[in-house]
Amino acid sequence: MKVVLVGQPNSGKSTLFNAVAGYRSLTSNFAGTTVEYTHGKARVDGETIDLIDLPGLYSLNSANPAGVSSREFLLRNDWDVLINVVDASQLARSLELTIELLDLQAPLILCLNMMDEAARKGIVIDAKALAVALGVPVREAIAGRGQGVVETFRAAKGLYRRRPFAPPVPLCYPPELEASIEKLAYELREIRVASSGDQDTGPVLLPIDSRPSGTGVDHVVAPPTAETAGQALFPPPRFEALQLLRGDPNLLTQLGPKKAGAVRHAQAEITRHFNQPPDTVISSARHAASLNLFELVARVTRPRSDWREQADRLIMHPVLGYVFLGIVFLGFFHLVFDLGKIGETRLMTLFDSGIALLGQSLGEHSMRFALAKGALLGTAGAIANVLPYLVPFLIGLALLEDAGYLARVGYLMDAAMHRLGLHGTAMLPVLLGYGCSVPAVLATRILPSRRDRFVAACLAVLVPCSARMTVIFALVGFYLGANYALGIYALNLAIVAVAGYILTKIWPEISPGMLMEVPPYHRPSLRVVLLKTWWRLREFVIIAAPLLIAGSALLGAIEFLGWERFINTLLSPLTTLLGLPPAVGLTLVFGVLRKELSLLMLMQALGTTQVATVLTTGQILIFTLFVTFYLPCLATLATLAREIGWKLTAVASAALFVLAMVISLTARGLLHFLV
Amino acid sequence: MKAITPKTSLLTLDQARANSTLKITSISGGWGVRQNLNEVGLHVGDSIRILRKAPFGGPLMVVNHGTKVAVGRRLAAKIKVEVLR
Repeated sequence: MKVVLVGQPNSGKSTLFNAVAGYRSLTSNFAGTTVEYTHGKARVDGETIDLIDLPGLYSLNSANPAGVSSREFLLRNDWDVLINVVDASQLARSLELTIELLDLQAPLILCLNMMDEAARKGIVIDAKALAVALGVPVREAIAGRGQGVVETFRAAKGLYRRRPFAPPVPLCYPPELEASIEKLAYELREIRVASSGDQDTGPVLLPIDSRPSGTGVDHVVAPPTAETAGQALFPPPRFEALQLLRGDPNLLTQLGPKKAGAVRHAQAEITRHFNQPPDTVISSARHAASLNLFELVARVTRPRSDWREQADRLIMHPVLGYVFLGIVFLGFFHLVFDLGKIGETRLMTLFDSGIALLGQSLGEHSMRFALAKGALLGTAGAIANVLPYLVPFLIGLALLEDAGYLARVGYLMDAAMHRLGLHGTAMLPVLLGYGCSVPAVLATRILPSRRDRFVAACLAVLVPCSARMTVIFALVGFYLGANYALGIYALNLAIVAVAGYILTKIWPEISPGMLMEVPPYHRPSLRVVLLKTWWRLREFVIIAAPLLIAGSALLGAIEFLGWERFINTLLSPLTTLLGLPPAVGLTLVFGVLRKELSLLMLMQALGTTQVATVLTTGQILIFTLFVTFYLPCLATLATLAREIGWKLTAVASAALFVLAMVISLTARGLLHFLV
Repeated sequence: MKAITPKTSLLTLDQARANSTLKITSISGGWGVRQNLNEVGLHVGDSIRILRKAPFGGPLMVVNHGTKVAVGRRLAAKIKVEVLR
């Protein structure tokens, strides 16, 4: 049995999902999109259920990719029961999606989640009356505490066992509107039955190329034939009619001539009658219907007063809100770095002794040792240098997100971030960049559009991560003084601002501005936080770690074979141009593996820990500037590629390289004149 | 259902004061804008209240049927409102 969870964002859908499906769940992208959904298996009363968690959506008739992909998924009809998860404290608004789902005429369960939140708001819901009004089973739940979860899935199983089921009664709209809808539905049915082979067949709401062909593919909608058309067509013509009437104007261009004609005619009829665009008429009618339904089944009593009502006075205050934000992030960063530092030191000691042990057992001067040492160093890079920071980072991020604070950060930072061509929500990935670029790039997922994700990822990578910070402080800070180190920081900030400005010029913001629901605060659920952390962590482990290990082993071999001279010669045009000794060449390659390696390798390559005896202060400055900007590390590159694609990653890397050259050469020129 | 004409109101949401209660009279903007606003529960005819406005031209926070929504200024300029209180 395949069960699909549908619901609006913040309805606690994923909490319900996580309450039964576990860490083995997978996230996948809908074909050809970046829209993600989660799927997994759950056991309910000894029976295994396939569970699919669609992205949160307000309507199937949506302008955003999540809505479009979810609609396409539902129309493929490869599922058995729908569970509509609803935030009971937002019942009036949530019912709009429920009403839309009713028109699918498919097995549907309504799960009234967050009943505790509703009670707090003073909303008393008569679940039985709601079930009668909608004609679907209704279950109450508090998924965060595991209440009502099993009951909901039992109801789904019950509905599945009693097939064929009686379809729910679709909701009626005002008579004039209803007439137009039913007329169009009738026409669409006729067209679907009569025609075959041309564009007028099949569920038109699917893109043409992904429409089921009817051959060889399991579970897809068979194109309607004269025999099947008499009874249940899927999607029901009424659903199709409503979607088309209210839908994206672009959808009409994909229709066959007969259908498009019928839809245009009906739209004109509605516009003439109501003097408003059809989508406004239908959504207003649906809105009114949900409000009526709400009044029928729910009573609103006095809300219990609560600290949460007062918290926003401080947290979103025009002055104190920013102070609070500063404290939260300072605390967050300190905690992460202090924890990370402890973990890193302990783990590095462990790996160092491991390498020493390896040297004893394999012999210091063998190819096997070189390879194994390289691989072990790579593993150390992944486990000891990245994970100690990444794990607390991701836990903290999930905590802030689940508690509802991230949305508020977005609100507070929106004005400032718009200067960089981004929404307020993008502040987080960019800030995370100061820690480690990998989680920063992963965090761009919280942004809605591809363009925003790209710009935020670029800016996040430009911000110096802790590894680059180490290089800056250990070289420039140590040999040239703290003011120079701060100068590099200031320069970096200016470059981030300019880069944001340029990226916005190249790829302007398309969205008209922020529009975001601000969820109520709630206590984060440990299970959700840990699962979220694990899913984000898994990306790093799968993509970046193997590259790090393999790359490290390769470099170990290169070193063993003495090929570093070739690499240094190969890179000599670059090093000469920058005015650096040729021995520095290999360190730049190592820097791509892990930024802090360029520091260690610099000392190794120059044969001294007293860098100032070999390099002039000018050379140290140029080297640091170049290393700070030239390329993100391999782990970041792999993550970037995963998030924005290889092509854009290549473009961004090339741009960064050019930027690093320009900065370093400018610095060299300036130093030449000044010194 | 009657068409709602915005003749009497020249105010847009971004111009309204914090803590005022307003009625949405019309939404100027294409299908996408209307759709996005409907999705977060903002419809023509709804009564909303501005809870606060973020400084430096940041977004507005409005509350509608108990749901809090952050609306950017540029988007708010597309929403015509009538001041109720």
